[in-house]
Amino acid sequence: MAMSKQQVRRLRKARKISGTIIGTIMKVVVCVFFGFPFLWMVATSFKTNAEAIQFPPTLLPVKATIEAYISVFSELNLGRYIGNSLLILVATTVGQFLVMVPAAYAFAKYKFKGNGFFFGLLMVAFMVPTVITYPSVSKMFMEAGMIKTLIPQIVPCLCNAFGIFLLRQNFMQVPEELLESARLDEASELQIITKIMLPMSKATLSNVMMLSVIGTWNSYFWPLVMTYHDEVRPITIAIESMKTLEGGLQWPIIMAGNCILVLPVLLLFLAASKKIIAAMAYRGVK
Amino acid sequence: MGEIVFKNICKSFGETKIIDDLDLTIKDGEFTVLVGPSGCGKTTLLRMIAGIGPATSGELYIDDEEISDVPPGKRGIAMVFQNYAIYPTMTVYGNIEFGLKNKKVPKAERKKLIAEVAETVGLTPYLDRKPSELSGGQRQRVALARAMVKKPKVFLLDEPLSNLDAKLRVSMRTELIELHHKLKTTFVYVTHDQTEAMSMADTIILMDHGEIQQLAPPEVIYNDPNNVFTAQFIGTPPMNIHLMKDGKTQIGYRPEKIQLSREQGQWMYCRRAKIMTREMLGSETLYKLQIKVMDKEVTVMSKSLNMDFAVDDEIYVGVEKEDLYYFDAEGLRIRDASVLTGCYEMTKEGELHD
Repeated sequence: MAMSKQQVRRLRKARKISGTIIGTIMKVVVCVFFGFPFLWMVATSFKTNAEAIQFPPTLLPVKATIEAYISVFSELNLGRYIGNSLLILVATTVGQFLVMVPAAYAFAKYKFKGNGFFFGLLMVAFMVPTVITYPSVSKMFMEAGMIKTLIPQIVPCLCNAFGIFLLRQNFMQVPEELLESARLDEASELQIITKIMLPMSKATLSNVMMLSVIGTWNSYFWPLVMTYHDEVRPITIAIESMKTLEGGLQWPIIMAGNCILVLPVLLLFLAASKKIIAAMAYRGVK
Repeated sequence: MGEIVFKNICKSFGETKIIDDLDLTIKDGEFTVLVGPSGCGKTTLLRMIAGIGPATSGELYIDDEEISDVPPGKRGIAMVFQNYAIYPTMTVYGNIEFGLKNKKVPKAERKKLIAEVAETVGLTPYLDRKPSELSGGQRQRVALARAMVKKPKVFLLDEPLSNLDAKLRVSMRTELIELHHKLKTTFVYVTHDQTEAMSMADTIILMDHGEIQQLAPPEVIYNDPNNVFTAQFIGTPPMNIHLMKDGKTQIGYRPEKIQLSREQGQWMYCRRAKIMTREMLGSETLYKLQIKVMDKEVTVMSKSLNMDFAVDDEIYVGVEKEDLYYFDAEGLRIRDASVLTGCYEMTKEGELHD
């Protein structure tokens, strides 16, 4: 039997409402799934050690204290690790930018012998799991006597193959006539890069740089393999080493360290979330 | 000054030879239009002058100075590209200023020059806008302003009107002609549109397969074509050309020179024809006619002021002696008087019987 118009309308409305409800439930589940560990981390960092290990556990600290944060800096010398992390971050980011932009420009806009071959090589480097290069690179730096410096944590990371690939694709979309026009306007190649190519690829570039900053700041395995001395270790390793502090596992201290570790990334994302999402969406649509 | 001289210019892309041993002089101060079908080498020539697509061999001079090794920015030329190539992240002001800045022109002078040129092309209210906020015509003006502000010896224009709508194209055409009169510099304009070429040029260089088919003012190109290619490239519809009785010589006549009549007239060329189609264009009517040449049906086009004929009408078509063109088997124009006399005889003999 055919449904009346009203019935059809009612059915559609019911479907729409049920869709909204299911959608909302899913969102809540996802938020809890990702949000709860975060909340747990922040809450624990403000607890005393006794409260952190008591059973049944408390969700929020009964009496909030910043003891753990004080301990992190006094006992662990976290300042030094943060300093190391910042140095590595700045050097890697600046270095990556200086390597990535000219490389992407050359791959995208110059016809030279071996262009395809070298780009293929770069893609291979991008696809090979970094882990398999650990032992050889580590040995190399050890034999070169650089293992006590920050260099092993910076130099091998300067070539951001993924970044070069993304930026090259973006540069390739810049019409050749724009470059020719700029050359007719007496612009040097450096000016073409800085005044035309980069402003036109702002979204991709900031996206790549942000991913690189986050990746470098959070990197754990690479520095773990490349360092044997506390003086050159970054904050990620330092926090991991808190597990072995005297007096056993001190959860509030570990969580305080984690909060400090995550804070810059969080601030960066809050400041530039729109740009990050826009850059991702832009590329997705294309 | 801005005379451009090509000497023994060759250009190849890999194995493919585009231009082979070309000699050409583009006169100073003239509006020269390079015209021809796609792939004929016209843009290649323009890019050579600009220095963004150098010749494989040969010499290129601007005002007696060999410029093959001079970088594009130092040649004293400015170019307007088909897609305008204006910098999308800069404002209109920034776009016009970019070249001057690179030339290290002082700020105060830059400001003055930009104000002048913006006024000339009518961009003053839009100087702070980004290209994305402009219409097609305004973008075109930005490209022009950017070229003009450099006060070049030579203006190179690569199909600059092809992205505009028909109406705007016509008005920009007029503006470009006026601009040329005002600036009196050398303009080299590339197009595949014969109307643009005919309406704007002082001199047309018609090219095909990397060779110059004819270099002449528009009226000469139209009235006195050197070969079949020129005769058929210029003019809408193109010149009617078909073989004559001897199977070698070709006869040609322009659609607008054909006279149509129900009565047989006293023309040198006279044939019976049947009207196949009729297109009313307003002031003129376009007829597609079928005539018989050596037992074969040949289609010819006629553009006539007479709109009285209907489809399927059997009529007479005629062409006067001075409107007839003859070409040899290679497609070259026959100009030798004695050979022409023979052609005229053949035309008369074939009267009504072809």
